[in-house]
Amino acid sequence: MFFFYLLSGLFLGWSLGANDTGNIFGAAVETRMLKFKKAALIAAIFITLGAVFEGSGPSGTLGKLGSVDALGGAFTVALAAAIAITLIVRIGIPVSTSQTIVGAIIGWNVFSGRLTDYRSIITIASSWVMAFVLSAIIAAVLFYLAKPWVNRSKSHLLVQDLFIRNALIVVGAFGAYSLGANNIANVVGVFVPVSPFTDIHIWGPFVLTGVQQLYLLGALSIVVGIYTYSHKVMRTVGKDLFHLSPITALIALMAEAIVLFLFASRGLYNLLLSLGLPTIPLVPVSSTQVIVGAVIGIGLAKGGKNIRYNILGKISLAWIAAPILAFLISFTMLFIMQNVFEQKVREKTQYIFDRITVTKIINDGYDPAALSSVNGRSFTTERDIYHELTEFRDLSRDDISQIIEIAEIYPMLVDTASLTKSGMYRRFSPEQLSVLRRYDGQEFRHKWQLKALLTTHKEFEYYPKPENELQKNQNRVLDEQLNQLYRSFRIEKE
Amino acid sequence: MPLLLKTTRFIESQIDTFLDIVSDSATTFQLAIEDYLHGRIPEFEDRLSQIREHEHRADDLRVSIERFLYERTLIPENRGDVLAILENTDEVIDNIKDSLLQFSIEMPEIPIVLNELWMQTTKASVAAVEQLVFAVRSFFRDLGAVNNYIHKVYFFEREADQIGERLRRKIFATEIELSRKSQLRFFAIHIERVSDAAQNVCDRLSIYTIKRQL
Repeated sequence: MFFFYLLSGLFLGWSLGANDTGNIFGAAVETRMLKFKKAALIAAIFITLGAVFEGSGPSGTLGKLGSVDALGGAFTVALAAAIAITLIVRIGIPVSTSQTIVGAIIGWNVFSGRLTDYRSIITIASSWVMAFVLSAIIAAVLFYLAKPWVNRSKSHLLVQDLFIRNALIVVGAFGAYSLGANNIANVVGVFVPVSPFTDIHIWGPFVLTGVQQLYLLGALSIVVGIYTYSHKVMRTVGKDLFHLSPITALIALMAEAIVLFLFASRGLYNLLLSLGLPTIPLVPVSSTQVIVGAVIGIGLAKGGKNIRYNILGKISLAWIAAPILAFLISFTMLFIMQNVFEQKVREKTQYIFDRITVTKIINDGYDPAALSSVNGRSFTTERDIYHELTEFRDLSRDDISQIIEIAEIYPMLVDTASLTKSGMYRRFSPEQLSVLRRYDGQEFRHKWQLKALLTTHKEFEYYPKPENELQKNQNRVLDEQLNQLYRSFRIEKE
Repeated sequence: MPLLLKTTRFIESQIDTFLDIVSDSATTFQLAIEDYLHGRIPEFEDRLSQIREHEHRADDLRVSIERFLYERTLIPENRGDVLAILENTDEVIDNIKDSLLQFSIEMPEIPIVLNELWMQTTKASVAAVEQLVFAVRSFFRDLGAVNNYIHKVYFFEREADQIGERLRRKIFATEIELSRKSQLRFFAIHIERVSDAAQNVCDRLSIYTIKRQL
């Protein structure tokens, strides 16, 4: 059954390969600096390397995807996103895969009565504008910087050509590597906790872990997508929107790499943090919007006369249409999966307002009177709690989310062996693992109970009231680790 | 990378050799006319055979450069432009050869009074070709300088036209048979055509330069 469910992840991988590779190599291929076959080969190699060796764990978009708690649900959400992407890629328009996936996840949230975090929707919506505008500005600046170099260059046309060609390959390979590293989690990350793959000892210290094997499979599906379908999107990015020359193609690609690095590099974030400098927020930006922004930036820097605004309009429309389409497909398919095929698309979650949870809520500083309508009751959907709590009291959505989190019953059994088996242990320090081992066999009913216990140890340091960015970052990292633990330790009970 | 650089350097040197040949042909043309005007016919014929050789080498080089650029898909954006430049520049050598060949076949008798104007026209045409070679070299190596050289080509082309016109007027003012006048007129036009061919290349070159600029 696992492999059947995995198919939708692989389909999503295929659509990602078809869509996102165009963002990286579209300009290079359409300016004929790189042959499609060569570009596809470079993309295939570096995406696979990035996915297998630096594939990030469930984070960012996947963090939200991870909230899809049943395998049947994850299958449907991935399938819905893949269908939406494929439909739009068919007309040759690049879409944002991450945003389409989020659209499908919101479909799941609505279907299963979960509260959708409005802030993440706002973040996504603002990243559409921000990534686009910023990359346009950076591309325009790079264009003005490159202009004197190109116009007054004393190097031979052929040497310039060689330089640009190699730069396109290097920057493209780097882009492909990051694409593999960042997006593989979107493709198969959700299957990590249930993967049947075990570590393969290749030679000496070289081990291909179960997670890496899964990521390799995902990477191969991306590669198939590149070879079979990415050519059309490449044309839209590299030719239809604005005629790029090799040098402007390089500028666009460099602007894309810079923007993606600025917004996605945790390393840079930590560096700025440690230097006490203001940080750039880690926002999930879309490579599609960044490259289109860069192309438009160059077009405007060249006077803006040759930009095909009708194509830009189509692309922008697709950016809005893709998540909405994914949402609708996801919602409809979840309904069919659950009611026609009788598949479990969500775990039955219970929320209880008993003595323990209510005390915790009050201790966290909430007004006991606010809980009068829910006290002593249990619920099966977040939406019902939300309605109860908002009917009489003016609680913010964030407050309600916090209360719901406390009330959620999430049975867990600490089992460090399961972390080793799934390869998840790599995400924890040896000190953290030894703390966890102390609680092996202990059961918890609520997530916050495990959190409260672990954060008493310095290995799981948490700042309830963070005072600076450094502490906020520490909290964020710990929350990600805790989410891993919750999923890994979950047991069926009650 | 070193292999690619080697290929690049090889084509670079081929283009340079091609342009050297164009420049040499122009200088040889001037010397050949000088020899002819001074009645040194065997030397003139030597120059003509040199030009013939230049023409063959230039043709071979051009074809080889074209093949390399296409086979290795180099400079895809400018490939067509570069080939057009090379082909049109090659026509300058063809013009030079045709002109000298006509001299060799028809052996026109040129009155001594016309020698000075004849040489001046030739020198102006040759100067246009030499400036063209500078312009083409700059197109590859120093884009900013191309327009200066193009400007010079246009200047010498106009100069060749003006002196050529004076030459033709003088031909028809000279006391010789009409048939000879008519024959000499065509030879004068032949010499002017060399600078016209240089100008044609420059017309394209100026557009290609704009295309290459950011």
